[in-house]
Amino acid sequence: MNEYEQGQAPRAHATRRASQANGSVQRDENGTVYGKARKRTWFGYEVPAAYLLIAPVLILFGFAVAFPLLDTIRLSFFDIKGLGAPRYVAFGNYVKLFHDENFRQALSTTLWWTVSTTVLSVGIGWFLAVVCSLAPRATLLPRVLIFSAYGISEAVTGYIWLGIFRPDSGGLLNAGLKAIGLSSYTHAWLGDQSTALAAIVIAYSWAQVGLPLMLCFAATQAIPSSIIEAAYIDGARGTSIIRHIVMPLSFNGVRVATFINLLGSLRAFDTIFVMTNGGPVRSTETLGFFMYRESMTQFKLGYGAAATLVLLIAVLIVSIPAIIKRTAEAT
Amino acid sequence: MKHASSRWAIAIVSIVALVWIVPIFGILVTSLRPAGEAALGWWTTAQFTLTLDAWRSVWNQYPLIEAFWVTLKLAGLATIATMLLTPAAAYAFHFLRFPLRRVILIIIVNAFVLPQQVVIIPLFQLWRDWGLIDNILAVLIPYVGLSFAWSIVVVKNFLEDFPRELIEAARIDGCGPLGVFGYVVLPNTIAPICAVGILQFLWCWNSLLLPLLYLRSQIPLPVVFARIAGTYDANWNLRAAAAILTAIVPLMIFILFQRQFAGGAMSRSGSKE
Repeated sequence: MNEYEQGQAPRAHATRRASQANGSVQRDENGTVYGKARKRTWFGYEVPAAYLLIAPVLILFGFAVAFPLLDTIRLSFFDIKGLGAPRYVAFGNYVKLFHDENFRQALSTTLWWTVSTTVLSVGIGWFLAVVCSLAPRATLLPRVLIFSAYGISEAVTGYIWLGIFRPDSGGLLNAGLKAIGLSSYTHAWLGDQSTALAAIVIAYSWAQVGLPLMLCFAATQAIPSSIIEAAYIDGARGTSIIRHIVMPLSFNGVRVATFINLLGSLRAFDTIFVMTNGGPVRSTETLGFFMYRESMTQFKLGYGAAATLVLLIAVLIVSIPAIIKRTAEAT
Repeated sequence: MKHASSRWAIAIVSIVALVWIVPIFGILVTSLRPAGEAALGWWTTAQFTLTLDAWRSVWNQYPLIEAFWVTLKLAGLATIATMLLTPAAAYAFHFLRFPLRRVILIIIVNAFVLPQQVVIIPLFQLWRDWGLIDNILAVLIPYVGLSFAWSIVVVKNFLEDFPRELIEAARIDGCGPLGVFGYVVLPNTIAPICAVGILQFLWCWNSLLLPLLYLRSQIPLPVVFARIAGTYDANWNLRAAAAILTAIVPLMIFILFQRQFAGGAMSRSGSKE
């Protein structure tokens, strides 16, 4: 503010008047014609200045996103083993993928993992948000607590739940089962193929509930109190207010949270890495973990790249609405 | 009626919150008990000793202090770079007109859907060829490059409400496009830039995959901790102390700035309503 009130040298005045004399079509120094509707232009400084301002972003973005994306596509058509020379195999990697028992298992694991973590975290978050909306002030502390689990590093989340699913009596879950007389149900939760995935799903969802809770709660607080009062006057009480007003009107928060958690689940890696490292017998490998295993521990880079592209396609499918929206808003 | 329902609400939420309180409290207690007792379960009371042993020896057992500095350096540098570069680009995209503007913008803002896994194979090969493996640039470049997909959206959304008259006035007074940015837009965009900085710091601090793959000798806390955590040795108390050390800084920042975090996560996903 101050800077502009103090004023700069009125360098542009003369040029501006001259251009107004030209009529509605303005030209810059290079003679480029800009549309009639254009009001502002810095006469040739604008384009170089703009590129100067975005140049660092373009360079870093190119390195970190554009190049890797294109190169992953390219590599997926090559057979690369370690440092050896790449060999072009066309769709060979993809054919091999779909004949690979482990990959097919990773696909179904990814489906189960993504759906169950998203449903669990968003469902619990939404439920808690609706309940919290009945007493917004008094539930502040538990809300902050649950949300703060979202800020804990996933590696630490994994460790916390390792302590709960421990196979020995020092594991909280097994000890709890024993205490209530269900000793026969005690289990090596993470060592058994049939329960390991469910255990990680619970651990991961535990950390992810915070965001849906926060977003849905914000949505319930945005409901005008006049609507609830009107319903109250019309005779609506407790559960019917929740069912017919709070739940539908907070659905926007649910939609946003579902999308965020879906994307997060598809790319999840850390919790699986810490809790089971993909085991037992690769039963907890999602696509995001499978590609890491194949490319970074087996050094099958081309094969890993093909798996990454399958993951990318899954990500793109769930993001179509968001991409359309973002593209339309990018003006 | 109203009172009864809010009492029920408080009761339900408090009970459910126990699922979050108990494990976190458990970690704290575990770190305060001797290894033998911690291995039996932090809730056991047959023999109950509180001790700071784990907190005294955890520094010698694991390279935590060094890792703490590495994490601070990585997250700090990545945050500064993002905070410096984002506003300039957001300003250019929002207020300046230049060829390919819309195309570049669309590509950048849609990159938020890309999982990190897309980056790792090509960058692994590139860093290997360039000898950048184990150089902090190997993780800083993707940290910063990937951040633009959401950070530019956060700042650009803020600029939508920026008064254009202010810019017009500065322009008439002879300010060039860079001057308008430096004197008019930047000083008034501090709030969203700080929000971007907080988010970027948290994500970089907690990030595991990239440093796990690209760094060898100087590794940040989550990587050190992930290596400790997966082992089934008996020193649960030491690992609990290490877990608290890994989580404490982001947790504090997170609790202080939760509002910005929820808002930023929304813009990050591209669904800001």
